[in-house]
Amino acid sequence: MFRLAVKSVKHNPKRLVLTAVAVALGVALAAATFTLTNALSGGFSKLFDEIYAGTDVIVEEAPDELGDSEDPFAATDAIFAHGDVDDVAAVDGVASAWGGRQVSGTVLAADFEPSNDVMAAGGAPSQIFNWAGDPRVDQATLIEGEGPASDDEIVLDVDAAPRLGYALGDTVSISTDIGVEEFTLVGLVRFGESNSLQGATLAYMTDARSAAINGDDGYDQISVIVEDGADASAVAEAIDEILPEGTRAITGEDKAAEQTAQFDEILQYIDIFAIAFALIALFVGAYIIVNTFRIIVTQRTREFGLLRAIGVSGRQLRTMILLEALVVAVVSATIGIVVGYLGALGLSVVVEALSGEIFGTVTLPIDAVVWGYVLGALVTIVAAIMPAIHASTISPMEALRESATESKKPLRLRNIVGGALTLLGVVAIVVGLYMGIEKPYIPVGAGAMILIIGVTLLAAQVLVPLAYALKAMLTRIFRVDGKLAANNIHREPRRSANTAAALMIGVMLLALVATFTESMKSLVTEQFQGNNADFFVFSAQGAIPEGALEVIEGEDGVAYVTSTGLGTVLLDGEATAVGVIDPDTAELAFDYNNEPDFDQMDGGAFIDPSMVDAGFEVGDELMLEGAEGTATLTVTGRYLNEGDAQVWVDEETGHALLGDYPIVQSMVVLDDGVDPEAAQDQLLDALAVDYPLLVLQSPGEFEQLANQFIDLLLGVISAMLGAALIIALLGVANTLLLSVTERTREIGLLRAVGVRRRSIRRMIRIESMVMAVFGTVLGMILGVGLGAALVRALEDFGFTTITVPWAWLALYTIAAAIAGVVAAWWPAHRAAKMDILEAIAFDG
Amino acid sequence: MTTTLIETPRTSVAVAASMRGGTKTYGHGDAEVRALDGIDVDVATGEFTAIMGPSGSGKSTLLHTLAGLDRLTAGQSWIGDQELSRLSEDKITQVRRDKIGFVFQAFNLIPSLSARENITLPLDISGRRVEQAWFDEVIGILGLGDRLTHLPAELSGGQQQRVAVARALVARPELIFADEPSGNLDSRSGGELLAFMRRAVTDFGQTIAMVTHDPTAASFADRVLFLADGRIVDEMRDPTAELVLDRMKQMGH
Ligand SMILES: Nc1ncnc2c1ncn2[C@@H]1O[C@H](COP(=O)(O)OP(=O)(O)OP(=O)(O)O)[C@@H](O)[C@H]1O
Ligand SMILES: [Mg+2]
Repeated sequence: MFRLAVKSVKHNPKRLVLTAVAVALGVALAAATFTLTNALSGGFSKLFDEIYAGTDVIVEEAPDELGDSEDPFAATDAIFAHGDVDDVAAVDGVASAWGGRQVSGTVLAADFEPSNDVMAAGGAPSQIFNWAGDPRVDQATLIEGEGPASDDEIVLDVDAAPRLGYALGDTVSISTDIGVEEFTLVGLVRFGESNSLQGATLAYMTDARSAAINGDDGYDQISVIVEDGADASAVAEAIDEILPEGTRAITGEDKAAEQTAQFDEILQYIDIFAIAFALIALFVGAYIIVNTFRIIVTQRTREFGLLRAIGVSGRQLRTMILLEALVVAVVSATIGIVVGYLGALGLSVVVEALSGEIFGTVTLPIDAVVWGYVLGALVTIVAAIMPAIHASTISPMEALRESATESKKPLRLRNIVGGALTLLGVVAIVVGLYMGIEKPYIPVGAGAMILIIGVTLLAAQVLVPLAYALKAMLTRIFRVDGKLAANNIHREPRRSANTAAALMIGVMLLALVATFTESMKSLVTEQFQGNNADFFVFSAQGAIPEGALEVIEGEDGVAYVTSTGLGTVLLDGEATAVGVIDPDTAELAFDYNNEPDFDQMDGGAFIDPSMVDAGFEVGDELMLEGAEGTATLTVTGRYLNEGDAQVWVDEETGHALLGDYPIVQSMVVLDDGVDPEAAQDQLLDALAVDYPLLVLQSPGEFEQLANQFIDLLLGVISAMLGAALIIALLGVANTLLLSVTERTREIGLLRAVGVRRRSIRRMIRIESMVMAVFGTVLGMILGVGLGAALVRALEDFGFTTITVPWAWLALYTIAAAIAGVVAAWWPAHRAAKMDILEAIAFDG
Repeated sequence: MTTTLIETPRTSVAVAASMRGGTKTYGHGDAEVRALDGIDVDVATGEFTAIMGPSGSGKSTLLHTLAGLDRLTAGQSWIGDQELSRLSEDKITQVRRDKIGFVFQAFNLIPSLSARENITLPLDISGRRVEQAWFDEVIGILGLGDRLTHLPAELSGGQQQRVAVARALVARPELIFADEPSGNLDSRSGGELLAFMRRAVTDFGQTIAMVTHDPTAASFADRVLFLADGRIVDEMRDPTAELVLDRMKQMGH
């Protein structure tokens, strides 16, 4: 059987080519992602190894429930005093201990100009530390010049200096929380063995200067070198004994492993995200596979009948087709894996050329291979099952019939199943969206899938009358070509429906995302309607320095500045996001969606919908536990948008709980009568001196920025869906190609009675366009519907209006028609160039 | 069962296939067609039986129901001593595989397999070994030695039919059914094919039942059955082309 299956694939590989391409594309997507994330993981694991390579033991803040040491690059709080460093140094086995401190700041390029552009203001991140002068502690070796000896000296890594435009002796500017600080570049260092910093800038200054900038002479970490022959883990344990609460000692090796593991966890989410898109692509691919095998089974009905006549059982036939599917799957998954790997390799070269070395060696990870084959084989086999079952029911008598056509089974069963599935899908989606169950995305996702299959099944019934309705129109416009095209669609309703449905899925997802993002834009617009602020202040580095706010407040024409801070506290032992505002001014600047207004906070707390869902209500007492202290607050109101912060408190409470909390956004309100444009220039000039990386956006600019960001999101998702759409178009081409082969005799006959080549081509093109537009329209209806349901379900996040993305829908329809013509190009060409006599003699 | 049974008792002489009261109808009510209308027939082992009759008389239907490709509406049929109407589809498939060989008028071969692979296909399916000596002998007689690696599309119509006959013979079935095997061939290649079939019967004791339109083809047989309107109306032993032609003319053919 296996040999027969392989022979059959080899004998006529052309009809399977597009199927293989579809599978390969989906697999390539998954393989490329795995390869890239694997390379990223390799790159960062090397980075972490180098960061901690020389240090035997690291003493640091213990990771706690507040989870603020999750981010491997975040500057941590200064928790060690000088005395702690001395205590650690005195522990048995410790050769030397060094207090380390990170400075939050950005090294500015030599030709830096302040710009009010959020996207451009960031640049590569900087990592700035105090200089120990010991390569084992610094993890960096001086390779040119001197180390920083006096407080106005600095060293940079060898790649950053030329990149930023500095040479030894130049003045280097660093934007910090206390303003722009200037230094003289006195040396260049190499990080680890090869200075692979994944694009970051590395800088070192003296201990005193770093303490001055941070405004705190504590350390956030102590690096320990053990004596020769001493066991690092034993020393770490000894250090642990004397450490203050909330800190820990860990060996450098363990720390590197821990960081790598944490980073890999983040990468896993990328993998899952990409697999989701690969699955979508393969799901669409499955439709092509179903169609291909259906058509192949039909074309080979006589062959199968003959096999049945000479004694092959139905089961053996089924096995044979599934084996064929497996052969296709293995071949195309192999191609997909190779293509995915090469694609990832190419992409990594491009990315590294643009943004420096961030990948480790790009190798093909075992994950990519396993997932590639599993996904490829699974999708192909599952898709081939129905056609295989169909083949197994072919009676031996079929071998003796004149022509091979798909049996004209009535569509009733298909309609009943389709209707039931559609209903089931809708119910599952509604349940998921509105019933407030634990993991809503599971019923919603499953529901969407079932709905798609249901609609696909129903589409066969919709297509028949639709094609007939179109027939008159097509006949009027295109004469006999149009009539024949309509007949062709009508003739195999299942096949046409499956083809259109493949496109439907891709377009549905696009329309869904477009509906969602357009509604998001409406949300942004609405939010700005209640806005009184003249400017929004952002920092590209994260938090906004207090000093910057003082600068703004000090300018003429500024009425007041009101800021929002963020932090994490424990509520009943659970990490809870807390937002800090100034109740008196916040509401003046911005009409928050809350009840009552923030000015009624009265020293209490506001809670968001997620807290209400968790059972809290106005009048309850909340026991909050922060890093700096605890507070018991009465709930005095509700904040009605979910997703910003769970609990809102005033600044006094914020400081009591969190100490200095990061300010994430500030709003500036000008005095009456001040010209905003002039004020913006004036404020930016004032900030340029000390805080050149801050961005000041007017509401209009901010809204535009938000919309740009939303468009970017739409763009990224559309690109990821691109693979699915390409596969869907391949599906249209594939179906047409196969049915052209199937209709060889008929086309020959048409040509024999005088139909011109041009007409044949046009007939195929019309058929393709109708299917493409039909799939697109169905997809848009579904997509907008699902998008609307999603927006409704997210009401808690502030969505109020469902915006139908008309412009996008029009674009998709036009694109579909064009795509239909493109997809028909090759099949039409094939059909038109057929030799009449050969076509008529064709034994198919 | 509506037909009067056992008018002619099943004989105990070696019978390869037989039918009693075989009836096959297509369609319902006004549109009903009686393709077979109470057929009693025995195909004797080691004989070459030809089935003749006007177009639409039910020849193909008789062959198909005898061979277990199709089921009777009423009546019984046997291959050897197995009654087909009692068997499941799977069992019938097995009977076809193990006991029967086929030669059709056209489309006999799997396009993706070479001539050799097509010939050994029934053996491969049932997992039996090819008897090389027998294979060589059959190939030799049919003159296919230099065509074995060719695909069906690369063979002439006559060669394709010879490959089909070779396939039927190599598996050594108890019975070979052929439906107008020479129908698509010119008289010379048709004559050669029939001569081979005749030899298979005479030299190797192969049993063959063949449908044909052609009196010359029928003259290769030991016995000719004449069908009209789904009934057997006559039979002839040791036929010659002239006698058969006369009989056909009588039937208004
Ligand atoms: N699948 C079918 N459905 C309906 N009627 C059928 C079917 N197959 C055969 N018939 C009818 O049964 C009758 C006998 O057909 P059969 O094919 O056995 O004739 P035949 O003797 O082989 O004719 P020919 O010499 O033309 O091949 C014919 O009237 C035919 O129309
Ligand atoms: Mg016939």
